[in-house]
Amino acid sequence: MARVSIEADQLIVEIEGLGKLWALKSRLVIPLAHVRGATADPGIVKEPKGLRSPGTHFPGVITSGTYRTKEGQVFWDVRDAAKVIVIELTDERYTRLVLQVADPRTTVALVEAAIPTR
Amino acid sequence: MVQSAAELFAERSYDGISIDDLVTHLGLHRNSLYKTFGSKRGLYLAALRWSLDQGVTPLADRIAHAPDAVEGLRIALAAPVGGAGLELLLLASVERAPVDTEVAEIVDRAFAALDSATAAAMGTDGPAPPPGAAVALTALLLGLRLRTRSGDPAAADAVNDACPRWPSVLPSAARQP
Repeated sequence: MARVSIEADQLIVEIEGLGKLWALKSRLVIPLAHVRGATADPGIVKEPKGLRSPGTHFPGVITSGTYRTKEGQVFWDVRDAAKVIVIELTDERYTRLVLQVADPRTTVALVEAAIPTR
Repeated sequence: MVQSAAELFAERSYDGISIDDLVTHLGLHRNSLYKTFGSKRGLYLAALRWSLDQGVTPLADRIAHAPDAVEGLRIALAAPVGGAGLELLLLASVERAPVDTEVAEIVDRAFAALDSATAAAMGTDGPAPPPGAAVALTALLLGLRLRTRSGDPAAADAVNDACPRWPSVLPSAARQP
C-alpha cells in the first residue's frame, strides 16, 4: 500500500507496511513538474511487467519493486489490483509508478489537480 | 485516434470508460496511451479540445451564417448526433466541468463560441434583441439538443412550431412566414 501526498511542489509517495520490505524502498519524492498524470487502472496488472530488478513478485499475490521495460524502469507496489493507480513520470529514474492506494479516485484527483496545466 | 476517443467519451462518459476500454476500442497499447497523454484525463482533455475545434467551432460558424435564429436552431438540431460535437460538450459540462477547472475552461470557450454564433444568427437589421438573448438562445439550443439525443421528437416540433412565434426573443423570427 502506498500513501500519496503533495507537499509544496513535490509529489511524495510513501510505501507503507510490508510493501516497504518487498519493494526495498520506502519513500519517493518527485517534483510535480515531472509528473505527467495519474489514472486509476486495475487492468494494468494483467499486462506484462518487464524484467524484475530488485524486489518481489509472487504471481497473483504481490508485485513489488522495480521492473525494467522498453520504456524504462517501472516501480510497482501492488497486492490488490482493484486499488491500483498509475502515475506517469518524465525525466525521473522511474518512467511510471504502479501503486496500490486506499482510495484510487481521491488520489488520482489529488495528483491531477496538483500537476501543471497541460 | 483522439477523434475515436472523443466519440467514445461522448457515448459513455468519462467515468464510464476504463483504460481497458480505451485500449480495446482505440487499438492503442497501454504504454503508448500513458507515454502520449500521461493519463486518462490527459487523453480526455485532448479529445475535448479536438471536439471543440473540429465539432463545435464549425457548427458555430454554420449557426452564425444562418439567415435567422430559428434556422440557426434547425442547423444545431440537424447536426449529426453522436460523434464529437455538442454531445461531448453537454456531457463534459455536467460531468467534469464542476470538478475540473481545465475542462470548465474548455466548456466555457465552447459556450462562448455558441453565444457569439447565436448572436450573429439573430442579426442586426431587426429590433435589437434584449440583453442576454444570445445566452438564452444558446441554452434553448442545448436543451433542445439534449431532448433530441434522448429521442424526443417534440424538440424538432418546438423549433418548427413555437420558436417562430417568439419574435421578442428571436427577433429575426418575425421575418418567418
